[in-house]
Amino acid sequence: MALFHDKNTPMIDRYHWWEVIAIYAGIFVFLFFLLAPFIEGFLVSLKPLAELFSTPYSFWPENGSFAAYSTMWERVPGFAWYVFNSFLISTAATVIVLLLVVPAAYAFARFDFRGMGLVLGGFLAVSMFSGAVLLIPLFRLMRSLGMLNTYWAMIVPGAAFLIPSAVWLLRTYMMRIPSELNEAAWTDGASQFYIFRRVVLPIASPGIVVVAMVTFIGAYSQQFIFALTFNSKTEYMPLPIGLYAFFGKQDVVWNELMAAAFVGIAPAMIIIFFLQRYLVGGLTAGALK
Amino acid sequence: MGQLSLKNVVKTFGQFEVVKGVNLDVTEGEFIVFVGPSGCGKSTLLRMIAGLEHTTAGDIVIDGKRVNDLAPVKRGIAMVFQSYALYPHMSVFENIAFPLRVERAPEAVIREKVTAAAKILHLEQRLQQKPGQLSGGQRQRVAIGRAIVRAPEIFLFDEPLSNLDAALRADMRIELTRLHKQLGATMIYVTHDQVEAMTMADRIVVLNAGYIAQVGAPLDLYHKPQNTFVAGFIGNPRMNFLPVTCTGITDAGAVIDWQGKAVTIPVHAMASAPGQTFTLGIRPEHLTLAGGEMQLGVTPSVVEHLGQQTIAWASLNGTAETSFCVALPGDQAIKADQSVTLGFSAADCHLFDAAGEALERRLLPGTSNG
Repeated sequence: MALFHDKNTPMIDRYHWWEVIAIYAGIFVFLFFLLAPFIEGFLVSLKPLAELFSTPYSFWPENGSFAAYSTMWERVPGFAWYVFNSFLISTAATVIVLLLVVPAAYAFARFDFRGMGLVLGGFLAVSMFSGAVLLIPLFRLMRSLGMLNTYWAMIVPGAAFLIPSAVWLLRTYMMRIPSELNEAAWTDGASQFYIFRRVVLPIASPGIVVVAMVTFIGAYSQQFIFALTFNSKTEYMPLPIGLYAFFGKQDVVWNELMAAAFVGIAPAMIIIFFLQRYLVGGLTAGALK
Repeated sequence: MGQLSLKNVVKTFGQFEVVKGVNLDVTEGEFIVFVGPSGCGKSTLLRMIAGLEHTTAGDIVIDGKRVNDLAPVKRGIAMVFQSYALYPHMSVFENIAFPLRVERAPEAVIREKVTAAAKILHLEQRLQQKPGQLSGGQRQRVAIGRAIVRAPEIFLFDEPLSNLDAALRADMRIELTRLHKQLGATMIYVTHDQVEAMTMADRIVVLNAGYIAQVGAPLDLYHKPQNTFVAGFIGNPRMNFLPVTCTGITDAGAVIDWQGKAVTIPVHAMASAPGQTFTLGIRPEHLTLAGGEMQLGVTPSVVEHLGQQTIAWASLNGTAETSFCVALPGDQAIKADQSVTLGFSAADCHLFDAAGEALERRLLPGTSNG
C-alpha cells in the first residue's frame, strides 16, 4: 500500500501512494509556473528568428540549433564587456555591503544601545522604497558627488539599497551565536575586536555567505535603472543595457536576446555555485551543552 | 594569594534588588560553594566576582586589592560556564590555548601549558578534535582546561555540572575535588544541587533571596542550621516542621508540650521562650518505627521503596498535601494508607522561633562533628 519508503522510514514520514502523487503533482504545478518563462526563453533561444513569427506558433523548436549563442557576439560586439561590467559592479557592491554590514549586524545583534530600534526600523522603512522612486534625488546626489558616468554611479546606490535587508538577515543569524562565548572570551582577556575577529566571524561565516549570495544576486539584478539614469558611457554599461542593444531599430532579435540573457547570468550562477560550498550547517555544534 | 572578600555587595537590576548586601571572606585554597534556589542571586554574585556584572554597591576585594572596576582578566580569576562556552570552530587544543593566544604567549609556552592541562584532565587523545565531536563530560573538561592554563588564583564555576547526566555528574564531582587538591587554588562554585555542595565544599554559602542565610562547613549546616530556610534546604528529603508550644526552660534546654507530654529539647533557649509558639524541626531520617521519647502517628499516602531506604509521605493535618516525610533505613514493611507510629528523640530535634531563627542546639559530643 505504501510507496517510497522501507521498514526503516519513521512512521511520521510514511505516506500513502495517493499522498505521494498529490505531493509531486503539487511540486510540478508550482515549479512549472515558476520555470515556464525560463523554459520558453530557452526554447526561443534555440529557434531561428523566422520561426518565432510563424503561425501557428510552435512551442517546440523545429530544426533548433545553438546558432544564436554564437551570432549574438557579432551583433553586439561589446557584450562580453557588459557582462564583465555587471560582474564588476555586483562584486564591488557585495564587498562594500559586507564590509559595512558584518560589523553593523554584530553590533545590532550583541549590543543594546539607545536608538537601536529606531535605526533598525529606519532600515526596514528605507528598504520599502524602490530605487526608482528616489531616482531624481539620487541623480542630484550623484551629480554633486561627481559620480555620474563612473562605475561608482551604479555601485554606490546598488550597495545602499541592499544594506538594510542584509543587516536584518545577518543580525538574525548573529543573534543565535550564544553570548556566553563572548563572555568566556572576555573573561580570558580578549578585546571586543579580538572576540569579533576570532570567535564571532568564523562562527557567523555561513550567515555571511548567505548574505553575500543574496547581495550579489540583488546587485546583479537591480543595475538596469541606475545604469540607465546615472551613466551614459558605453564602456561602463552593465548587462541589462547590453541586452537592450538587441532591440534593433526595426525589430528585436529575440532568439539572440534570449541566448544573451542566459549567457549573461552564467557568471552569477557560477559565483553562487561556488559560494554554496561554504554553506555548511551546524557550525555551532558543541559550543553549548 | 587567592584570597577574596565581599563587603556589603549589592546588585540591583533597575528597581529589583538581586543581591542585598553580602559579606563574605574566602581564604586561600578554600573550596566555597554558593547554593540556593533559583533566583537567589548566586549566579549574579559569581558574575560580579568574575567582572561580568557591574557591582551596584559594596567592594569586591581580591588579595587585598579592590577589583570592582577591573576587567575580568586583571582580577586573577578564570571562569567555567554552565554552558561550557567552547568555541565550536576551534580544536580542543585551540580552545584550551585561547587565553594564552590572547596574551600572545610564545608558541612553546602554549604547547607546554596546554599539554600539561590536557594531561590533568585526560584530554591528550582529544586535542585535535572539535568540541562537537566530544561528549558532555569531555566538553566540560575542555572548559576547565581553558581555565587551568591561565593559572588563576581563583576559579569560578557557574553550575558546571548541571548539563550532565547523573552518573557523569557523580564522576565529575570526584574529578573536581581531586583537581582542587591538585591545584590548591581557591574555588568558588555555584550550584543549586545540595549534593554537590555537601560533597565538594570546604564551606557552603546558602543564599536566599539575595541574602546569605548561613555560611558553614557542610555538616555544620546539616546539624546546626541557623534558620528554617537552611534547615529545609540542606538535607534530602527536607526537614519536617511542626508547630509546638514552649512551656518552660531548664538547664537542659527548652521544655515543650508534645501531645500533653513535657519534653526537653536540648537547645539554648532565651528567657522569654516559655509561652511562645516555636517550630519543631525533625529530619525524615531521624524518625524510627520504634523508640524515642516522642511519638507521632501518621498514615502515609505514598510509600517509595528505594531498597537502601524506604520513604513515606504523609499528611499531618488531614489534607491532601503530603508535607510530612519519613525516611527509614532499608526495606521497611510500611504500606500506603496504613497508619504507623513513629518515634524520635528530643536530641535530634531543632527548634526555631517565630521569625524562623534557630535556637542553638546543644549537641552532645559524638553526635556530630560540631
